Amino acid sequence: MAILKKKARVSGEIPTASMADIAFLLLVFFLVTTVFEEEKGLPIVLPEQGEEIEVSQKNVLHILIQPDGLVNIKRGESPQIQTVRYSEVSTIWRLEVSQNPNLIAAVKTAPTAPYRHMVNVLDELQSAGAQRIALQQLE
Amino acid sequence: MMQDRGFKRKSKASSDIPSSSLADMAFLLLIFFMVSTTFRKEQPRDVEVPEAAATQKLDTPRKHILHIYVEPDGSIYINDRVVPPEALGAYVRPLYEDSDRRLVMVLRADREVPYSVINQVQLQLQSANATHLTYYTNLEQRVRRERR
Repeated sequence: MAILKKKARVSGEIPTASMADIAFLLLVFFLVTTVFEEEKGLPIVLPEQGEEIEVSQKNVLHILIQPDGLVNIKRGESPQIQTVRYSEVSTIWRLEVSQNPNLIAAVKTAPTAPYRHMVNVLDELQSAGAQRIALQQLE
Repeated sequence: MMQDRGFKRKSKASSDIPSSSLADMAFLLLIFFMVSTTFRKEQPRDVEVPEAAATQKLDTPRKHILHIYVEPDGSIYINDRVVPPEALGAYVRPLYEDSDRRLVMVLRADREVPYSVINQVQLQLQSANATHLTYYTNLEQRVRRERR
């Protein structure tokens, strides 16, 4: 009987002093492992199917992307082709749009050209504030 | 020494930080983070997205976003499933209708994918009338860009 009495002396309370430590440990774990993944990118609105608008050639700036990443610029109907690097596209766009505010950028990419070349040109156009951009595949 | 009396009286206020509510505060924060944490549903894909200086943040809620992954070999994945390029429109259309036409496509394509694949994705999305597309890019610093 003496042995049983000794055992019953153990405190029946749950120790609460370390509660904050446990909670903070869990808190820090969740703080560290939480990743807020944000969505970002270059937004564009595709035309709806069958939505084709006739555009006068003089309002079109043709931007032809070659497989090697070089960019050919063709203004409307003029047969003259200017070959530039994509980093010059924003300068050209700003210059052209100041002369014709109705200008549309027709970006035509070669089927074999890597996707990043198209993104580079799109980036240049959007950086220059271009709103009217048409994306096509070069035939 | 006589002038110090006033200070002594003030210091009678308890200098202990009340620690009995510490656990409550910690648990409150803990529950907040547990609730706000969302785990990714999709498997990570081996896709290296291009960089762009004009990268914008999207304000679309997560439930109205559909990720389209295009791997370097040109295979297309949506929700961890391979979707053949010609069936993409048919796959996206019901999802788009269900979302009340608010679905935004986020195209996470590898930088080296040939443009013909991207073009086909665009045409398929147009056929499903899902016209809001975003090319997922990482923000490129202007300084780095000018050096190239």
